[in-house]
Amino acid sequence: MGVRSRQCAKRLASLTIAALAATLMLVSTTCAQSAIGADQAAPLKVPGEGSRTPRVVLPGEQGGPYPDPLEPFNQTMFNFNIDVDQWVVTPVAKGYSYVMPEPGRQSVNNFFKNIGVIPRFANNLFQLHVYNAANELGRFGINSTLGVVGLFDVADSWFGMKQHNDDFGLTLGHYGIYSGPYIMLPFLGPSTARDTVGLVVDGLMNPMSWLLPWYVTVPADVGSAAINAVNYRSLHPNQFEEADRYAVDLYGAVQDAYMQTRAAEIKRLAQ
Amino acid sequence: MFAMMLVGAVAPAPASASTPTDVVRQVVNEALPVLRDKSKPLPERRRQLRDLLEGHFDFADMARIALGYHWRELSDTQRAEFTKLFTAFIENAYLSKIQDYSGQQVAVQGENSEGQGFARVHSQILQQGKQPLKVDYLLREMNGDWKIYDVTVDAISIIANYRNQFNRVINDQGFDKLMADMRSKQQQLQSSLGS
Repeated sequence: MGVRSRQCAKRLASLTIAALAATLMLVSTTCAQSAIGADQAAPLKVPGEGSRTPRVVLPGEQGGPYPDPLEPFNQTMFNFNIDVDQWVVTPVAKGYSYVMPEPGRQSVNNFFKNIGVIPRFANNLFQLHVYNAANELGRFGINSTLGVVGLFDVADSWFGMKQHNDDFGLTLGHYGIYSGPYIMLPFLGPSTARDTVGLVVDGLMNPMSWLLPWYVTVPADVGSAAINAVNYRSLHPNQFEEADRYAVDLYGAVQDAYMQTRAAEIKRLAQ
Repeated sequence: MFAMMLVGAVAPAPASASTPTDVVRQVVNEALPVLRDKSKPLPERRRQLRDLLEGHFDFADMARIALGYHWRELSDTQRAEFTKLFTAFIENAYLSKIQDYSGQQVAVQGENSEGQGFARVHSQILQQGKQPLKVDYLLREMNGDWKIYDVTVDAISIIANYRNQFNRVINDQGFDKLMADMRSKQQQLQSSLGS
């Protein structure tokens, strides 16, 4: 393991530098201007101005809209993803739920979480969360054996070992890399420049991508991602409908939910 | 420092006997029986929940925060109009949750201060066979009473989420379009309530 993780770390060191460079470039070229613009546009509180009640600035009151220089592209991709969800993923998920009972679908979900151990392990390590990294390895060992190739999360249910989600986007955020502009990725959903770089790096950590040729791994990845998506949708049948029921502007609701969630995760990692 | 403490001790105690946690406990303890009791007619249960909300939520503040810096650009009439519509919208969104309730328990877990006059109360919604859902209540002390001005679900602030939506619509299409969109959404919610 030691040699392997050292190799892994070495490989990633170079990737990290590339990723940092790419992100910084994105940040400086596309985003700096709008970010600065947004800061300047943030309102200054003038005492007693406008309203009758004394002005008390509540926490979080001053946040402006997120800089969104890619909005036209994002809007198109957002509509595209909604169509894919509505016309492809949801009908398939419905049929699949019909033949596969929920415990089975939960197990498929567990299986995908279990095989995703390497990025979680590596990124916990990158952030020097050594205990969580070791915990991920322990969970993988237990769930792959006692949990029948990861179909059951017995590490959690029997031993109380919780999964510690982590990815390379969070690692970059942990070390202070700005998120860059918001990007709606086709099929994959909301992301940012930083988190897209993270996705690519996490993908490269899959050992299959080093051992097998691309024309095997790429279709295999796409296939497993599709199964995972259908399975996830079958476990969360009303998620989208719920969000839409309460949203005035669904695009903005999804964008903010993503940005807030990522910010909260990065804050949690700092603790 | 010591002098400040003395002043604090001498100054009249705030009128509120209750802490932020008490307020949230009270809301939860009064709401759960109403959600649970399916024998009562639905309009009656909605009325009870609406009263409970209006007693403990500060909708005027919520509306103002949700508009962010655009609040300053509005006339008094527009502000009043928006606050009224936003209040009805949030209430109906909350009330439409009645039909989703299926025996979840709520654990109120204590509070921490967010500066003088502000507090965050932590709670979890416990659901069978699923991870608990983290819900925090943000409260502000006003005239001795603690009022809820925001709720976070899984670390997502509801009011901040609406602010992003409202900002986008106002920036791209103007305030009138926001009002029109909200009105139609509000009517959908209202009709889904079926009363």
